[in-house]
Order: sequence, then C-alpha cells, then structure tokens
Amino acid sequence: MTTALKRYGLGALAIAVTIVVFIIPLAFMALTAVKDRREAAKLDFSWPTTFNFLENFQDVLSARKFMLVTAFINSTILTVVSVTILVVLAAMVAWILQRRRSRWNGVANFLILSGLIIPPAVVPTIWVLQSMGLFKTLPGLILIEVAFGLSFCVMLFRAFIASIPKELDEAAVIDGCGPVRLFFRVIFPLLRSVIITVIVVQSVHIFNDFQNPLYFLPGDANATVQLTLFNFQSQFTTSYNLLFMNILLITIPPFIMYLFFNRQIVAGMTAGAVKG
Amino acid sequence: MTTSNRRRWTSLAVGVTALAVALTGCGGGNASGGGGGEKTITWLVDNTENTVTYAEQIAKDFTAANPTIKVEVETRPQGGEGDNIVKTRLSTGDMADLFSYNSGSLFHQISPEQNLVPVTSEPYMANVSDSFKPVVTAGKEIYGVPVGTGNAGAVLYNKKVYEKLGLSVPKTWSEFLANSRKIKEAGTDPIIQTYQTTWTSQLFVLGDFANVAKADPDFAANYTANKAKYATDPAAVKGFEHLEEAAKAGLFNKDYASATYAQGLEKLANGEGAQYPILSFALPELKVTFPDKLNDIGLFPLPGDDASKNALTVWLPGGVYIPKSTKNLDEAKKLQAFIASKAGCDSQTKAVGANGPYLVKGCDLPEDVPAAVKDMLPYFEDQSKNSPALEYLSPVKGPALEQITVEVGSGIRSAKDAAALYDEDVKKQAKQLNLPGWN
Repeated sequence: MTTALKRYGLGALAIAVTIVVFIIPLAFMALTAVKDRREAAKLDFSWPTTFNFLENFQDVLSARKFMLVTAFINSTILTVVSVTILVVLAAMVAWILQRRRSRWNGVANFLILSGLIIPPAVVPTIWVLQSMGLFKTLPGLILIEVAFGLSFCVMLFRAFIASIPKELDEAAVIDGCGPVRLFFRVIFPLLRSVIITVIVVQSVHIFNDFQNPLYFLPGDANATVQLTLFNFQSQFTTSYNLLFMNILLITIPPFIMYLFFNRQIVAGMTAGAVKG
Repeated sequence: MTTSNRRRWTSLAVGVTALAVALTGCGGGNASGGGGGEKTITWLVDNTENTVTYAEQIAKDFTAANPTIKVEVETRPQGGEGDNIVKTRLSTGDMADLFSYNSGSLFHQISPEQNLVPVTSEPYMANVSDSFKPVVTAGKEIYGVPVGTGNAGAVLYNKKVYEKLGLSVPKTWSEFLANSRKIKEAGTDPIIQTYQTTWTSQLFVLGDFANVAKADPDFAANYTANKAKYATDPAAVKGFEHLEEAAKAGLFNKDYASATYAQGLEKLANGEGAQYPILSFALPELKVTFPDKLNDIGLFPLPGDDASKNALTVWLPGGVYIPKSTKNLDEAKKLQAFIASKAGCDSQTKAVGANGPYLVKGCDLPEDVPAAVKDMLPYFEDQSKNSPALEYLSPVKGPALEQITVEVGSGIRSAKDAAALYDEDVKKQAKQLNLPGWN
C-alpha cells in the first residue's frame, strides 16, 4: 500500500508541478491571445467570451507592413547559420585543445573562460563592426552570436572529446588519414549527442535573443521575432491580446524543436557531464 | 559506425559550411534606395501605438506633398532601453535622418550641442509655440520641433460617478478629500492607485508641481542650485503629504498594491473607481480600449491649498531632432518643417485624433475632442494656469521616486521621511551631471 502510494504519489506530484509550471502559463497565453482587446486588458485567467483568433492572427501578421514575416525569415537565417558555424567551429577548437598539448593551451583556455566571464560592451562592438562594414547586416549579427556562444560550446565539446579514446585518432592516422579528414570523418560523427545538445540549446538561445538584435541590427527590415513584441507593448498603451498572440506565434518554433529533440538533449547533457 | 552514416555527416558538414559562406558573403547593405532624384529618409520614433500611427500618417502626407522624398518610419522601445538605443546610435554616428525624443531633462542627456543640427534660424521655427522652445534649447541654439500633443499630469475622473453623487470638480485639496469621502460612502473606490505599475505612483508628487511653482515661482531654479529641498520647502512637501493623507484615510481601492495600470484604467472607465491621478497619455489607451466610455472621463488638475492658484502640471511633447550624422540634411529639414506646420498637426489629428493641444501655432483642435481634452484646454490657453512639470525646468530627477511614493502610498514610510529620502536620491544624479552647488 505504502509502496504504491510512494510510487504513484510521487508521479502525481511531478505531474501536478509540471501543470502549474508549464501548462498554466501556456493556457493563459493561448486564452489571452484569442480574447478581444478590452477583455485581454484585464489579464485574468478566464474563458474568453468571444473568440477572435482569426482577427488577432491577421492583425499580428500584418502589423507594421508584415514585419512578423520578415522577422521570421531573419530569425531563421540567423539561427540556422549561427548554430551551424558554432557547431563546426566549437568542435574544431575543442578537439585541438583537448588533443594537442602546447604552451598556448593556457592562453586559449583563459580566453575561452573570459568569453564566459567578461560581459560584452555595445558601443566598442559597434565600432568594430562599422569599421568592417558589417554593422546593421545579418552577417554581422551572426558573427556576434557565434562569438558570444563559442565559449560555452567549446567547453561542452571538450568535456565530451576527453571521453573519446586517443587510440582512435592514432589508428586513423596510421591508416593515412590527414587532419581535416580525421576530424570530419572520425571525430565529428562521434560527437553526435553533444552536437544535438549544442544545436538545441544554442538555437533556442539565439532565436530568443533580444538584446543583441536590438542594438546590433537596428531597422524594421532587419527585425527578428523577439523585436516584434515591441509592436504591441509600450508604456502607456498595450494591446495584450495581440501581444500574447505574437508571443504564441513565436513560441511555437522552439517548442516544436524541444518536442523533437527532447530525448537527445538529456543524453547529450549527461554524455559530457561525467568526464572533465 | 557504418560507411553511409559517415558519409552523411561529412556531406552535412560540407553543405552547411558552404551555406554559411554563401550567406555571409551576400548579405551586404542596400541602405539607400535608388536614383531618379527620389530619396528615402528615415525617422526613428518610439513604439507606442499612438506614435507609430501618427508618424506613418505624417510620412504618407509628407510624401504626398513632396513626391520625391520618401519617409521610412523606424521604431525603438521606450524607457531605459530606448534611451540606450538613442545614445548608442548617436555616439556611433548611425542615427536615422530624424528622430523623436523627449524634450526637457532627457534631451540634455544626449549632448545636443555635440550631436544635433541646430535649427534656430530656420523659417519654420516661427510656427513653434514659445512655451516649447526652452525645453529643446541647449546653450543658445534650438534643436527641435514639437511632435505630438501637450499632456497633463492630473486627475482623470469618472463624470458619471460625479453626476450621480452631485459632486462638483474640486479646486482645493480639502474639497478633493470631502468629495472622496462622499464617493467612498456611496460604495465606489474614491482614488485609484496601481502600484504594480510603479511609475503610476508618482503622480501625487509630480502632478502637484504646478501648485508648487505657483506658490514659489523660483523653486525649480533653487532646486537645481541645491538651495531648495523637497523635505524643507513647505509647498513642495505637500505632494508627499497629500499622498500620505489619502492613504491613511483609506481612500484607495483595496487592491492598490497589486493592481496594474491597465486595471486602473478599466476601473475608471467602468465607474468602479472615481478618480485616478495619472498622465493624460492614458487617453489614447482609453480611446482604443473603451471607446464608448471615453466621454465619461473628465480631467482636473491635482488640487492644492489655494483655489485661486489651482493650476495644471503640463508635460510638453517630445521633439523631432536631426543628428549631425545625417546625409540628407535638406530633406530632413523639409520633414521638420512639415511637422511644425498646420498640415503636420492635421495629419496627426487624422491618424489618432487630438489627445491634447498642439504646440504649433495655427493648429486648432477639432470639435469632437474627448471630454478630458476639453477640460485641459482652458488651462493650456492661460499661462498663469499651468506650469511645465519639474523635469522640464530642472535636470535634477532622482531614479527612485517611484519606489519612494509606493512606500508612502502603502503606509510604510511617512511623508516627511520620504521627501528627505528623495532629496538624498537626487544628490547622486546632480553630482553626476556636475551641477554647480552640489559638490
């Protein structure tokens, strides 16, 4: 009896907590998104009296000359390209750092750590971008996202590469494998679980990034999805129904991603966690 | 590991790298649109629904009048984030051709002399109201034209509730309290306070400034010079005292601590609450959310002690400025001239209706303005019946006022104590601005 209670009680508790933490906010979001403006302004958890899903959806989509559509395209390019570069670059750096001991290792490790510790400054970064002609361009922002995410990814990869036996590299080299081929054909495929972790964590992070696009990519044509939230919210006037509809729309992509990659994330996290 | 798996990963890696290179290569700028004598200028405005709507209407009407110039409206957030954007873009030389920004003390913080193009001698400055010019002046030069309407920090009240109880608009603080008590007896919340949205708590102090200025015309100058203090000036401390008095008398709505600005407006519109000390910037929100109730809402200034000196605290509109970095100076000036003309006001009225008086000469308000705007007009027309808010007259404004007034309104801190604490709070800022008399 008590064991059954223990087993099911704990499960039920976990489910209840999940509902409170995840489902209720989601339901609140969805309900507010279909209300009309006056009802939404109350910000209460109630069943809408009228359903305005289509109207709200159209309003959000067409606001500021279909800014949301541009924003989705921009955000998709930004996320896909940044994450791709991040994965390849971070894996390469981590591999070299882990496998080749030299006196530069200390310096490189220090730089990677400082990337995590030192907060980025906006104005000097803009100067650098301006001097390279990259300011206000998507490639400029991609480089910024890569730079800010690199430290974290390198550390994840390093921890995992430490668990791959060095003999594998040696065997490949003896068989006549060059460094590039060794990396792409032997090491890179082995990193699969960490790669998925990095992809998921970083793409959610970059997709949801607000600060960097705000400062480094100004202009309506360059908007990313998080910036579209500002179309409906301001100090004196806020259309909560449209705001929540917008939130709902831009929450869907990361949500789907989590659903698909959920299992792999946990595997990837634990794979890199035990060895350092 | 099978061969096919390996091959797939390799091709994936090669593919994405190629894609990355292609994308980074082709993203270059296409900033200015085409030839044929047509030019596009950009105008950065804040993202309020109201602002964006009228800015786009102005852009459209301006292009209709000047077919060779197109105006692109860009938006930025408000508040601290917006200040940072404006400062960042100015200091990196990347500002739009024109931008809207606050007048008064915030205007001085963007180093106008260093960053902006002076427009003192432009012919269109003759259209700008003289009461606006001082708040966009730095040194000897004027830098901006007004956009949007004047606003007030005052009490919005529900006329239906007043009518039902046979009350008249209070001219003094004691009348205001008497009215409030009657409203409470009738079962309606007399004064709406919404402390979850902290800025709304400051109105008792900020909106009371016209009374301070009428009682002591030199207060602003003395305050800037560190000679007058909120805690020691008998007129200035009144704002804090009134807030404390109202709180002690239990005249607030029960949920004042957790209510939000949006909920406050709803209470006011539905008549659950009778009086809401707030900025008249709330009128556009009332207009879109409660269009049928808009004309139930009236406005009166926060009353002081002397009925004959009852005056309205005025918030002047923001300015439109041209940064020195612009490459389209002539076109930008043309747009400025358009904004500072009757045609400019008319486009704004067409887009969002008039939410207050314009600060451009010759701009009349239409007949069908909201009741609260009508209540505002007599005070605006007579200089002796209004005063700009302190933030337009003195650069000294502490960051913690809203927290302090929340404490007073919640009964945690006494008025005297709060005024003294606020005086401490402004010290840091005055020292940062390096004002004479503070070090």
